[in-house]
Amino acid sequence: MFFLQTSGNSFSVSNVLIFGTIGMFVMAITLVSVVVFHQRRVIKFNKQLQKMEEEKQQMLLKASINFQEEERQRIAADLHDDAGPLLATARLYLNENPIHQEPAVQLQSIFSAKQIIDDSIQLIRNISHSLMPPTLKNFGLESAIKDLFEKINGSGVINASARFHDNRERLKEDQELLVFRILQELVTNIIKHSGSGFIHLTQNVQGNFSYFRIHHDGKGILQKDFERLNYDSGGLGLKNIESRIKVLKGSISFDIDSTNTYYKVTIEVPREPAK
Amino acid sequence: MVLNWPAILNLITYTSSCSNLLPLVFFLLFKKNNKEKALRVIFYYILYCILNEILIYYLHGIRVKNDYILFALFTVTEFSFFCFFYKYALPTKFIKKSIIPIWAIFTIFAFVDFFLINQMSAFDSIASGLESIFIILMCIYYLVVQLKGTNNLFVYSTSNFWIIITFLIYLSGTFFLYIMAENMMKTKAFIIQYIVINSAFNILKNILLSIAMLMKSTPIDKNKQKNDNWDDFLSHELKN
Repeated sequence: MFFLQTSGNSFSVSNVLIFGTIGMFVMAITLVSVVVFHQRRVIKFNKQLQKMEEEKQQMLLKASINFQEEERQRIAADLHDDAGPLLATARLYLNENPIHQEPAVQLQSIFSAKQIIDDSIQLIRNISHSLMPPTLKNFGLESAIKDLFEKINGSGVINASARFHDNRERLKEDQELLVFRILQELVTNIIKHSGSGFIHLTQNVQGNFSYFRIHHDGKGILQKDFERLNYDSGGLGLKNIESRIKVLKGSISFDIDSTNTYYKVTIEVPREPAK
Repeated sequence: MVLNWPAILNLITYTSSCSNLLPLVFFLLFKKNNKEKALRVIFYYILYCILNEILIYYLHGIRVKNDYILFALFTVTEFSFFCFFYKYALPTKFIKKSIIPIWAIFTIFAFVDFFLINQMSAFDSIASGLESIFIILMCIYYLVVQLKGTNNLFVYSTSNFWIIITFLIYLSGTFFLYIMAENMMKTKAFIIQYIVINSAFNILKNILLSIAMLMKSTPIDKNKQKNDNWDDFLSHELKN
């Protein structure tokens, strides 16, 4: 090369210039390549995460739809199997022409029909209560929870208690129902699977969030178990909890206390006070 | 075979000068109605480069030997344009706070160096070297921010990225050339090296800036939007 064909001193200066320039150029290219390749990897990873998240959300959506379907089937079965035959029997009693019968038989028929209609009313009331607890609607979450816990205590197997520290302002009706369903599901799971002797629920408010914490002394699950079970094909109840938490825009965490004695489930819900 | 070096050098110089038109043409063709401020700054920078080239040719034409003031002015103006561009490309609080002091310190230093220390009689190597170091560091900072960012958009699909690597490569490549220029400008061999290296990197700079002008505007990340709306969707599904 022409610019290398110079005197000794200039030659070394040329070397410094050429190698320096090449070095800087290579450094710049390497830097840019590192950034581009690293970013490609990060984007690939993010897309995988996004895909997993979408799959999880699909699963939750399916679970909530399945739950609705099961609920509808249960209501349909209750109406068809219990209320239907009861009303049909009442109709049967009243179908016979009572005028041609003895007064005593007439009275007996009417009394039996009334009895059956009362049973039907009670049955429909039970179905309605299972859909929307009246205590919850009329008196709020605290009363509904205490009502639920009283029924649990009535069995004598488990001791359930609840303490609401700050419940001056009720949550919106939708929020209360969702929180109630989540707590109901958690309590049912604890009773069914943990073998615990007591359940204690505490409620508190901090800033714009309501916190609900359930303690129990049975065999509970931790956050990683919850996440694993959520991805499994089974565990409809947990998926419902997750989807309800998502609707509430809240969070749920499962952990154990430092002495490894009590399992804790904490729910954080952004407060939307009732108007 | 005897090479006609003056002719070859002239050809290289003219090619380098003409290459300045390339990003300008691409801007006018593809970004004419672009409102992006960062790109507009680069457009004015290209115009200034062309104007500077014309002035150099004019001064050479009227046989003015001491054109170092043009180089010194170019160093300060180039840095100013880059600072403007950087402010728009990376509008963080840290950059907004620090860019003006950096620019002011550099400008004062460059003028003191050229007018008082160099007495307008030599190439402004120290100021050019300092400018290169500042710009290279700022480019590296920009790339680090891109690395740390969570944007799901490929970094090389944005025009700002191409502008940043243009400056990074151009100033890395010419760094040694500029810092040696003050003492070596009188050596014939160095002048040839200067013309060849500077022209090569200038052409590369203009090609990369042209690529930057070809890049489309940043699209909206639709997937993210879809995820944000998912909660509402589930809520609606549950209500029905």
